[in-house]
Amino acid sequence: MVLLAKAALVMGGTLALAGAYTFREGVIRVDVDEYRAGGAHVHVWAPAAAVPMTIHFVPKHHLRDAAEHAREFLPLSHALIRELKKFPDADLVEVVDGPQHLQIRTHAGKLQIDVEQPDENVHVLVPLSTVDDVIEQLEANSPGA
Amino acid sequence: MSTNSQRLLARVALPAAAALILIPGSVRAQATTAAKSSQSTTSSSPREERWLHVRVIASDAKGETVRVNVPLELAERVLPAVNHDRLHQGKVKINSAQIDDVDLRALVDAIRTSKDGEYVTVQGSDNDVRVAKQSNHLIIHVVDKAGSKKSQVEVKVPMKVIDALLSAGKDELDLVAALHALGSQGDMELVSVKDSENTVKVWLDSKNVSD
Repeated sequence: MVLLAKAALVMGGTLALAGAYTFREGVIRVDVDEYRAGGAHVHVWAPAAAVPMTIHFVPKHHLRDAAEHAREFLPLSHALIRELKKFPDADLVEVVDGPQHLQIRTHAGKLQIDVEQPDENVHVLVPLSTVDDVIEQLEANSPGA
Repeated sequence: MSTNSQRLLARVALPAAAALILIPGSVRAQATTAAKSSQSTTSSSPREERWLHVRVIASDAKGETVRVNVPLELAERVLPAVNHDRLHQGKVKINSAQIDDVDLRALVDAIRTSKDGEYVTVQGSDNDVRVAKQSNHLIIHVVDKAGSKKSQVEVKVPMKVIDALLSAGKDELDLVAALHALGSQGDMELVSVKDSENTVKVWLDSKNVSD
């Protein structure tokens, strides 16, 4: 019985440690709700730390294609995200057009994009460090890097 | 140790171990959140960052509103990364053919060393234009009376910013230097445009939110 308890303790501790490590960079949250017949409702919560790890499993040619398409914007995006991390929370952009509402803000080290329309709501919350990691990976895979 | 005690210890040990692993992270997260929330609840940021604000409000029934808030330092550091069309390394090329007959630097020098006053005043049936220097600021005021929009434009630029803007080569405007110079200015309204369709305001202050 004691042996079982010890094994459970080790297993539980390992799981808790793995959980804490996985969620150390926070969570990526994507919510899409379409308010029409047959509309999609997508709600994704994923550990941000998993994204850079997952990119390593993406075939190189796909990464090169993505980097090629985004090449023009990579230096700007990298500089922007790197600087945004240094600043306090801010409402960067807000557009209100009747019932439509777009907001882009930084909050607690995360980039938050909210789009609200009568027929569709989209909310994206992603840690700035994760965006930075992805851009770095794309830069590393861009042609000529 | 009795068997019951060992069972109890084993039961307690697992949640205790999990709690010990998770608590430092959550305490740190709470501390960070508390620090950040105290930072974000104040309208004025602690390091006195300068923020450039743009607000556009449409006058139509829907009242479309656009608000943009950008830290000046961020713009200053990000702008050199933009290389598009005439903008490279934070400097924008201007068409030298258009300014060949005008020595912009000499003109600005002349304005800087001159006393405050109104330099240009045009009152026409279509437009009223006023260019003046006041407390080291260049002020341009234009009223369009003929157009359907009946617009009124007011631009106020510190002379230091104009100097910085012209500090690059002959046919270049140094936007990064201008932003840097703008950062040392106090709270001020830079641009105001009012017409029948929109109200535009560009201003500078230390708040990280629009008013």
